[in-house]
Amino acid sequence: MSTYILGISCYYHDSSAALLKDGTIVAAAEEERFTRKKHDTSFPINAVSFCLESQGITIKDVDYIGFYEKPFLKLERVLSQHLEMFPYSLKTFLGSTPSWINEKLRVPRIIRKKLCYNKDILFIEHHLAHAASAYLLSPFKKSAILTVDGVGEWTTTAYGIGKGNDIHLIKEIMFPTSLGLIYSTITAYLGFSVNNSEYKVMGLSPYGNMNRKTNIYYQKLKKVVDVKEDGSYRFDMSYFIYHYADRMPSKKLCRLLGGPVRKPGEELTQRHKDIAAALQMVLEDVMTKILNHVHKVTKQDNIVLAGGVALNSVYNGKILRNTKFKKIWIQPDAGDGGTSMGVASYIYHTLLGKKREFVLKDAYLGPSYSTKHIKSFLDKNEIKYSEFKTREELLKTTAKLIYENNVIGWFQGGMEIGPRALGARSILSNACNPEMKEILNLKVKHREKFRPFAPVVCEDDALKYFDCDNPIPEATDFMLMVYPIKKQWRTKIPSVTHVDGSGRLQTIRRGQNPLYYDLIKEFGRLSGIPIIINTSFNIRGEPIVCTPYDTYKCMMGTGIDYLVMDNFLIKRDHNSRDIWDSEKYATD
Amino acid sequence: MSLKQFFSGFKKGMKNFGQNIALIVNSALLSIVYFIGVGFTSIISKIVRKHFLDTKLSKKATYWHDLNLKKKPIEEYYRQF
Repeated sequence: MSTYILGISCYYHDSSAALLKDGTIVAAAEEERFTRKKHDTSFPINAVSFCLESQGITIKDVDYIGFYEKPFLKLERVLSQHLEMFPYSLKTFLGSTPSWINEKLRVPRIIRKKLCYNKDILFIEHHLAHAASAYLLSPFKKSAILTVDGVGEWTTTAYGIGKGNDIHLIKEIMFPTSLGLIYSTITAYLGFSVNNSEYKVMGLSPYGNMNRKTNIYYQKLKKVVDVKEDGSYRFDMSYFIYHYADRMPSKKLCRLLGGPVRKPGEELTQRHKDIAAALQMVLEDVMTKILNHVHKVTKQDNIVLAGGVALNSVYNGKILRNTKFKKIWIQPDAGDGGTSMGVASYIYHTLLGKKREFVLKDAYLGPSYSTKHIKSFLDKNEIKYSEFKTREELLKTTAKLIYENNVIGWFQGGMEIGPRALGARSILSNACNPEMKEILNLKVKHREKFRPFAPVVCEDDALKYFDCDNPIPEATDFMLMVYPIKKQWRTKIPSVTHVDGSGRLQTIRRGQNPLYYDLIKEFGRLSGIPIIINTSFNIRGEPIVCTPYDTYKCMMGTGIDYLVMDNFLIKRDHNSRDIWDSEKYATD
Repeated sequence: MSLKQFFSGFKKGMKNFGQNIALIVNSALLSIVYFIGVGFTSIISKIVRKHFLDTKLSKKATYWHDLNLKKKPIEEYYRQF
């Protein structure tokens, strides 16, 4: 009889559920994809339902449920903040206490009630869940582990070692000092949303002055962070107010950075860009010191990373060059969403001591829909479509449409877990067209102009176009590594070349997604360059699409020209426009 | 306006009213808890120089704290702390 373990994370951000069957993650999804609320924090009832239904089981078949943190330890930290910062923390006390009383302190009761579950519920520390998601799903049997995020219970940064089934987290940095929270603070200072737009600041940084000697904000931010030789760090907390207020930068930080918090929509000046650059450089300095220290202590060649900071793909691409580690692995949902997979794996492998055989090789763990289901959806809604007769026809037609500069919605197979669209719910277009960035922004994405689009390339072609680590780390398959584009190709693929000549590429191996792989190869035969723009299938401010309904609605409200959904081709112009107003819904 | 619409609007209004009342009552009660419970404890702590957050910069060689988090007996994981 199979052992099923359900992992749950919720009530902070990016609620998710993951189902593990005999050591294999068989289903995982974030709640936001079902509720259509970006970074949804609520109990992941829809994600749990999907996980169970995907395996044809009920909650009675689940042997353990794991929760991604220890709520009482977190409460201890929250109370400590209030005690330390009284009376300044009144507003946050009034704002956050009801959710503690109604939800966070009643997790077992809520799980049992909402899921009608009566077996064991286990709680593991937040950073242990991160560490487990990174190490136990990795191909390594022995590895150093580094977790860096905003905050868990008390821990904000932790390192340790994984050996076989066991994880030992050795040291930690504790709240309120947090690399994740300084990144969020500057994100807020630059007028972007916290726990959402940190990647935009990362994308903005190359527009700033990346010279450590001449960027004055780099010198200023270094005053804020005291970094020791072993990479341990602490902040001068007079520059921050996040430990007692619902805002993050203090007035002192505003004075240090030479102006008030930028209001959303205000012009981004060179000063803002230099601040983003300074922040990225500070992060990289601290991370490099930490990683060198971790290498020295653990004496491992392999490193696995998790936590929100592990989504900083700009730095990830530099790790193997700047440190002594030889191999790196990062799971596709390295932020809090991935902790549901971590806690489930920890219970199975570490607590129950079951052998590790599973490696997370792709991210297609979310809902998928059969050809019959999709055809029924199209017919029921009187949507005009054509059906591809063969796989060859699908590939050739789609590649040709991309080559002819159409914007293609691509809906195939299981939805991706994690923040990146990796070829299951993607918008694809021609990377060789210099106008394509503007076309995509005009037709669909409505993103800030400074943000680059990402390229996807077959793994066996990547080294020709990109200056990647060799061999290419598997984390590149999850779009988690930024590498320089080789100089001779930058003008040939301008739409995916960032201002500093880099690209946040996704590599695809045929075994992961044969149809997607073959499409890129087919496009390469037409264009001479097998690289396509891959951006997430959503509009700004919305989660990535999940169902055929979400997908069709998104397409019809935007300027996507064609939708390739399973075996069907839908042309937007052949169907009446939906009332969906993408401009109206485009938020931060 | 039909009767159904009227009752629907009435129900919605009552719900909003109830939520507003709950917010006021909650805020009042929580403020009392905050000033008496948290405030009193905080003042005592400050008098005895007890700190709940470690925020001071120091000249020590490291800011790393021992964590030593590894596998424990499974019973430990049933607890929320």
